[in-house]
Amino acid sequence: MNAAPELPELDPVIHAPARLRVVVTLNALEEGDQIAFPGLREMLGMTAGNLSVHLSKLEDAGYVEIVKTHKGRTPVTYVALTRRGRAAFEEYTVAIRKLLEAAETGKD
Amino acid sequence: MAVVDEKPLEDEDERALPPAEMMRLIEEQRAVAVRRLGGDPLMLYAPWGLAWLVGFGALFLHYGLSGEPYLPISYWTALTVLFIGMAVAAAVTAYAGWKSATHLRGVSQDRGMMYGLAWPAALIMVAAIALRFGRPENLPPQEIGLLWASLSILVVATLYMAGGALWREWPIFFIGVHLFVLNLVGLVAGPGWHALLTAVGGGGGFIVAGLLMRRRREWTGR
Repeated sequence: MNAAPELPELDPVIHAPARLRVVVTLNALEEGDQIAFPGLREMLGMTAGNLSVHLSKLEDAGYVEIVKTHKGRTPVTYVALTRRGRAAFEEYTVAIRKLLEAAETGKD
Repeated sequence: MAVVDEKPLEDEDERALPPAEMMRLIEEQRAVAVRRLGGDPLMLYAPWGLAWLVGFGALFLHYGLSGEPYLPISYWTALTVLFIGMAVAAAVTAYAGWKSATHLRGVSQDRGMMYGLAWPAALIMVAAIALRFGRPENLPPQEIGLLWASLSILVVATLYMAGGALWREWPIFFIGVHLFVLNLVGLVAGPGWHALLTAVGGGGGFIVAGLLMRRRREWTGR
């Protein structure tokens, strides 16, 4: 793997393993659905603190929407990808595929 | 969300991997998410398949194809077997549905709730119609049984077709069509045939459908 040592066209917010996994998981939700924080954490196998940090970075970029509400008396946090976040992930996968193709053809 | 103050993240979290590794990460995590969110299709289909296979199988043995029972099973025994099986299946699928949707809210939950409520509503109506018209002074006992069974399968077939439309899944729609055809053929052919077709084509069909859907999901991640 020595093709494309610099990857400037890859969105740096998504181009980090942990955040990429967060975005992939949220992207698997149907548009219009939100997932509770513990459910998301369980699917990712991350610590709560770690996930919170990544979520706030994604929120700062406008990729993730975080809604705090109450279920009965217990506070619940729901998370979803914004439209912008979905588009950014779509672009990211397109870019990654192009890079892979470039690496493949570069070998010949 | 600022729950945690800025603190240095572990390096491995931030350091990007080569594109091929990132792609693999996408595929692996997508598979995990789909499995968790969608539940196991076999868990949704196999319990109903077994309940119908055994329950309608018992009804078939009670009726026989030419009007002579194949085994001395009373109508009420066969019905009891069928209803116990369906109660277990309802519990298993309700649990599986609850488990996969418990952390979600939004569009899919609303849709699942309304669709879920359509089932008992329609089946209550089936019972009301069958009780009203399927009286011993109106119909011979075998016809009463066929009235119940064909109305029930009508509801199941129609709701599967509607379910296919809701989730835009052709396989679900075609399960509905398949049940619709079996129901029509069985209705024309008589109670024994209807029970046989429902047991093998319906019950067996559910089990096969569950296996195929599980396989499809393993292959395509859908």
